Amino acid sequence: MTSRISLWPKYIITAIMAAVFCLISIKANASTMPYVAYSYDWWGDPVPEPSPYLYGATIDKGRIGQALNNPQDLFEKNGKLYIADTDNNRILIVTSEGDYVSEISDGLMAPKGVFVTDEEHIYVADSGNERILEYDDQLKLIRDIPRPVTNLIGADKAYIPTRLVVDKAGRIYTIAYGINMGLLELDPDGNFQGFMGAARVNVSPWEYIWKNYFSTSAQKQRMETIVPTEYSNIFLDDEGFIYASISNLSNEDHIQGKDALRRLNPTGTDVLRRLGNFPVTGDLYKYYDGAEWSEFVDVAATDYGCYFALDRAGGKVFGYDGDGNLLFVFGAKGSRQGMFSSASSLVLSDDQTRLYVLDSQLGAIQTFEITDYGRNLLGALKSHYYGDSQGADRQWEKVLSYNSQSEEACIGLGKTRLRNGDYKAAMKYFKLGNCRKYYSKAFWFYRKEYMQKNFARYILLIIIPCGIAAAVTIIRRLRKWVGEVKCKNI
Amino acid sequence: MQKYLDSLLFGFHVIFHPFDGFWDLKREKRGTLKAALTFIVLTICMYTIEKQNTGFLFNTNRLEEVNVFVDIITVGLMFVLWCVSNWCLTSLMDGEGRMRDIAIYTAYAVIPLLIIQFPLVGVSHFITLEEGTFYYVFRNISYIWALALLLAGMSQTHQYSMKKTLFTTLLTLLGMMIITFIALLFFSVLNQIFVFVLSVYKEIRFR
Repeated sequence: MTSRISLWPKYIITAIMAAVFCLISIKANASTMPYVAYSYDWWGDPVPEPSPYLYGATIDKGRIGQALNNPQDLFEKNGKLYIADTDNNRILIVTSEGDYVSEISDGLMAPKGVFVTDEEHIYVADSGNERILEYDDQLKLIRDIPRPVTNLIGADKAYIPTRLVVDKAGRIYTIAYGINMGLLELDPDGNFQGFMGAARVNVSPWEYIWKNYFSTSAQKQRMETIVPTEYSNIFLDDEGFIYASISNLSNEDHIQGKDALRRLNPTGTDVLRRLGNFPVTGDLYKYYDGAEWSEFVDVAATDYGCYFALDRAGGKVFGYDGDGNLLFVFGAKGSRQGMFSSASSLVLSDDQTRLYVLDSQLGAIQTFEITDYGRNLLGALKSHYYGDSQGADRQWEKVLSYNSQSEEACIGLGKTRLRNGDYKAAMKYFKLGNCRKYYSKAFWFYRKEYMQKNFARYILLIIIPCGIAAAVTIIRRLRKWVGEVKCKNI
Repeated sequence: MQKYLDSLLFGFHVIFHPFDGFWDLKREKRGTLKAALTFIVLTICMYTIEKQNTGFLFNTNRLEEVNVFVDIITVGLMFVLWCVSNWCLTSLMDGEGRMRDIAIYTAYAVIPLLIIQFPLVGVSHFITLEEGTFYYVFRNISYIWALALLLAGMSQTHQYSMKKTLFTTLLTLLGMMIITFIALLFFSVLNQIFVFVLSVYKEIRFR
């Protein structure tokens, strides 16, 4: 009997614990994703990290009331989403929550790209009709920009504009399908200006020799021709620079670590900063047999240099900072909520709190809401960009408390310490963040400071023994001399 | 004991006067196997210490994955393989060195690594990346010096011309690879035989 009574508290404790665990797991479930976000550490190993964005909602037929059919492009302006609903031959306009607003459908044929200017003028790449159309904010057609008049595009070649951006001066940049000489640049009146930002073709010496001297003409024909890569998508950032993504990198390109992203300045030169440990190319290796290399189909940038790239092959979103360091990767291929089957476009809301990903196969937009971790991570980078080191420091501390393995956070904290003159702490953080470049800088200052403080001590350590040795020899000499003198005198 | 100490100190003569030194090492019996073993043990120590204790700026090893035993075996195995392979070849190519001589000259040839890289481990804690050039230059000097000594040692020990020495060195490296390959093959076959015998035994037992 006594034993049974003594067991009672145990049952109660167990029951309470079970209940608590249930509650915890329910709470945890609300924010579970079907995948884990990760990033690469200095050694190139994937390290899990908290999700920077979590799945929020799906905007699809159920929400809009109209089905999307193979939508290709998405744009967000002033709280409205513009969807290039390609196979329904229309541009659909919905609110940021997904409620139907209006649509443009007269005379469009398979439009693949849409861009909205600050005055809410809508530019549509009317791919099927080989033209670009401009609508004003009342959705009234203003002008029709036909195929550019130039002999640089062969007469037999189709002109199919797929994506476009319009800069502040009104110049139009467009990607045309099958034209690999770069972006087509049209002046504000729609006249052809030239090509811009063609990728430089790199041929290795070995490849060149093999191709030109050792292969037969039959072999040459079967070999791939060496052509510049075609861009898959473009994004105009607020400085007027164009981010361009490349999706058709070959297996060799990926193994060599070629970049899949460019940032073009107005003259067409690539100015993307590549100071990260790894090239801006998506996943560093294939994780399992049959996995595919990352294939960037869209890119979206923030005002402080961070940019997000969308990978169609892996169904992932890659976040990079302005220096080209990978911040996070999340997403996967699949049909569950928060997964993608054929992602086609990515859009960031103005304050980066929400991410819209358009999926052409599902015909739906999935929204992702920023988490506290993501807010602090991006916030810290923003503060750092605008020179607010105090704010950055606070946010990096928060990031580190969420993710103790974050090298970015350690480096960020180290940078503030370095600026404040706390070199020893800076060294500690740079070591944790595996950043040898900045560690070396901090160490240089630390060593200087240390030597200034302790110079006298070390000099004494050298001078005293030398002095003693000198004194001893002098005394010995003197004695000898005295002795000799004495001897002589005697 | 005196002879051992003498032979240790003779190492300093060898590295600065290689041709004379290596000649005396064998012909005048100035080198001892004990001293050679000391140098090899010190090399192993240097290798492990360098891997773990080089300053952060110059150390890209993953400390949690460093295994001392693997390091010891790596250096030891390289030494043994080199000696065996060199002996096998030189006895066919009328070299005059015996196994003992080969072991001794090889061990004496690595002395520059010891006297340069041991201090460098300490120095690496006091220099920045910009000054790292000096670090790398000295490291490379030590390797080139050791290689030159190895060639000089081989030519003197076996009485080879320089051309023949270079040729034999390449062959020795090839021999090392072949030995490794055969060893791996041997162990894999042994493993198969063992598994076969074991399965026959089990079959009979559970029948």
